[in-house]
Amino acid sequence: MRKIRILLADDHKLIRGGLRLLVEQQADLNVVGEANDGREAVSLARSLKPDVVVMDIGMPSLNGVEAALQITQANPDISVVMLSMHSDESYVLRALKSGAKGYLLKDSAESDLIRAVHAVAEGKSFFSPAVSKVLLDDYVRKLKRSGAEDAYDLLTPREREILQLIAEGKSNKDVASLLNLSVYTVETHRSNIMEKLNLRGIPELILFAVRRGIIS
Amino acid sequence: MPASAASSLDSQSKEHARKVRALLFVSFGWLLTLLIGAGVDALFSLRQLDTVEQQVSRRFSARSQALSTIVVSVHVYDDQLEHFLLQDQLPAPNSNPNMIAKKIAEIRDALLRFPPDQFPEEQVLLAEMQNLLSDQQNSFATILTWDPEARQQRAQQFIGEQLLPWRARILEISQQISSVDGDRLADENLALALRFQSMEDRLVWLVALALIAGVLMSLICGWYILRLERQGRQRYQALARSRLELEALSARLVQAQEEERRSISRELHDEVGQSLGALLVEVGQLSKLVPSEDRVTQVQITHIKSVAESAVKSIRDIALLLRPPMLDDLGLVPALEWQAREISRRSDMEVEVHSQSVSEDLGDETKVTIYRLVQEALNNAATHASAKNAMVTVVQGPDKITVGVADDGDGFDPGRKRGMGILGMEERVRRLGGAFTIQSTPGKGATVTAELPLRPVESLVNQP
Repeated sequence: MRKIRILLADDHKLIRGGLRLLVEQQADLNVVGEANDGREAVSLARSLKPDVVVMDIGMPSLNGVEAALQITQANPDISVVMLSMHSDESYVLRALKSGAKGYLLKDSAESDLIRAVHAVAEGKSFFSPAVSKVLLDDYVRKLKRSGAEDAYDLLTPREREILQLIAEGKSNKDVASLLNLSVYTVETHRSNIMEKLNLRGIPELILFAVRRGIIS
Repeated sequence: MPASAASSLDSQSKEHARKVRALLFVSFGWLLTLLIGAGVDALFSLRQLDTVEQQVSRRFSARSQALSTIVVSVHVYDDQLEHFLLQDQLPAPNSNPNMIAKKIAEIRDALLRFPPDQFPEEQVLLAEMQNLLSDQQNSFATILTWDPEARQQRAQQFIGEQLLPWRARILEISQQISSVDGDRLADENLALALRFQSMEDRLVWLVALALIAGVLMSLICGWYILRLERQGRQRYQALARSRLELEALSARLVQAQEEERRSISRELHDEVGQSLGALLVEVGQLSKLVPSEDRVTQVQITHIKSVAESAVKSIRDIALLLRPPMLDDLGLVPALEWQAREISRRSDMEVEVHSQSVSEDLGDETKVTIYRLVQEALNNAATHASAKNAMVTVVQGPDKITVGVADDGDGFDPGRKRGMGILGMEERVRRLGGAFTIQSTPGKGATVTAELPLRPVESLVNQP
């Protein structure tokens, strides 16, 4: 079986050491390189072509968000797992916009890293459970204080189904063949969902899905 | 400067100002008195001279009138008396003695009417004339006693020997008096002219003096004003300089504080926080190495983990407060949104952030200032004003960026209440060359607004 090739990018040697230790305990995972900052991560990703980059969000010279953007734009086959100390929406959204597929809190790296690497290597999303909890709490609190309606309740069962599939990274075509619908119908559903939830773009849609625990 | 020194300096300058005022008052008073004196003197002298001149001319015209009356009357008397004496030989005798007596009385009257302020020469001459008149009166009384025959016989003799010499003498005396008066008049006119001359001289002197004093005083005043102006300018420059220095100092203080915070935050986050993070990973490894049957060790490891986790959390919170890495990691608007959610989580206040065309490449100073301002304003609103809602707006224009934080809390009187927090906000905004305003009324919430130029004042910001 082919091993998943991993690039670790973190400006702290201690953390990199710990992560390497975790990863190398797995038989199917292999660390192919370590980068000390964002710039180095971008150049190593170009030369090594890893399957997954595990990257700290805050690094000197070029931060993780910018580095992830450059890596995924140059090579969409590379999946990025963002490591962060923050469970706040701003960070998650920023990471999603940069093309990252996974978002992992450093606190839970030890228990979730392996699952996250496997998930993104298969093209799925992965978010630390604590993240979706914080996002949901914020959302619920805001709804309660403003007395607004939960937009999710406005969605039809079909729309919820499609929302989940899109958030998991499926294309319109995939969704259409999975649900046995026409691509045109899927597109209509999709734009209805975006309008009802007042979302702009796929990153916000994924964020919403994470918040509601639709994907993890 | 100690208070006592300041007050003594103050009283010294007050004393100086009082002296200068007194000096000015005295000098100007003196100058004014001089001018008024000269004017009044000229006025009075002129009027006096005028009066004297009138008196003189009145006196002399009265004299010449009296004299001419005397001369005319003497001629008429002489004529009538001759007619009277020669009435028997003339065809038209028309003189009667009463008329002649009346003429004599007229001459006497004229003599008496002569102005009383007579000079000694005049008195002598007038007295002689008086005597002559008395003689003539006596002679006339004698003539009246003559019968027509005697009159015929003595008429020629009387006229030739008495009347004509008498008349000549009277006219001569009149001439003399008139000549004396003429001399006197000339004298008095000369005196008058002399007085006028002296008045003129005095006036010239006074005016010249006033002129010199005035010129002198304007020179002194001009010099003094120039000196005051120079001093004022120097003082203003010194003040402006010290204000600039103060501003630079406070700018450096704020900058130093920010740098200190940043370095402590970095230190905590990078060194302590990352070490603890690594420790957590290691402990996780350890727990896997220890067999799960060893409950005691597993519990111990779990405990170590939870202690380390809480330490990580505290360190992170402290580091975030000191210098939020969001600013560097995310940019301004997401950092503000993060901040808004943080406050919403921690307090009963819901915060919304609205931003409009805010660029990513704002200067670090501007970002930090806006971030701290919003932080301070939101904290105030949540903790002191017990607000329920707050709205943060950030709008970027072509040459400035405007930040507003509005809440629906208790509000306050911005004119009276100015805490350190507000002063700090104001200071931060001002040193970037921005404008800072607070609008609030008790019970009606508060709005903090700051306008920052996109090109901050370089000289203040980039001090070494």
